[in-house]
Amino acid sequence: MAEDIKAKLEKYRTAPFDARFPNQNQTRNCWSNYVDYYRCQKALDAKGLDTQPCEWYKRVYKSLCPISWIQKWDEQREDGTFPGKI
Amino acid sequence: PLPVRKQQIYTDLQQLLLLHSKLKKENLIPLFIFISGGATMSVLALTRAALKNPDVSWDHKNNPEPWNKMEPNQQYKLLAVNMDYSKLKKDRPDF
Repeated sequence: MAEDIKAKLEKYRTAPFDARFPNQNQTRNCWSNYVDYYRCQKALDAKGLDTQPCEWYKRVYKSLCPISWIQKWDEQREDGTFPGKI
Repeated sequence: PLPVRKQQIYTDLQQLLLLHSKLKKENLIPLFIFISGGATMSVLALTRAALKNPDVSWDHKNNPEPWNKMEPNQQYKLLAVNMDYSKLKKDRPDF
């Protein structure tokens, strides 16, 4: 599984088609991957596992999200005002 | 024009038919068909969106993120052009 992730990350070009978000508005796609990255980190840290698989989500949200949104959310997470559930 | 003595209350449709005697209500049937068809389709579209759209959540406690319940090859759109849903597989790592 870890080797799959490494291989996938090596071959990564851009965010793949996601059936959950088939339309033009990809806002939720960006949000979902951002939140999933931090949830994945939290979950795998709690289990004591390597968080390398979580990098997939980070690559996807970096491809999709406007940089200003990422900065805003990072600041909100530091302040503790992030609206999502992580 | 109606005779003044025979002033009765007619609906607009009745007045129209009265004045233009060649018109019949039957000629308006296609109009009613299209209007009712359009109304039905819009109601169906709204209920489909309310019930099936993965962005919609009526119960925030039990269904907070309904888009995460979709299969990787599940199609929501009614018509998808150039997209072979059967070939999609799950991409994302589990955690």
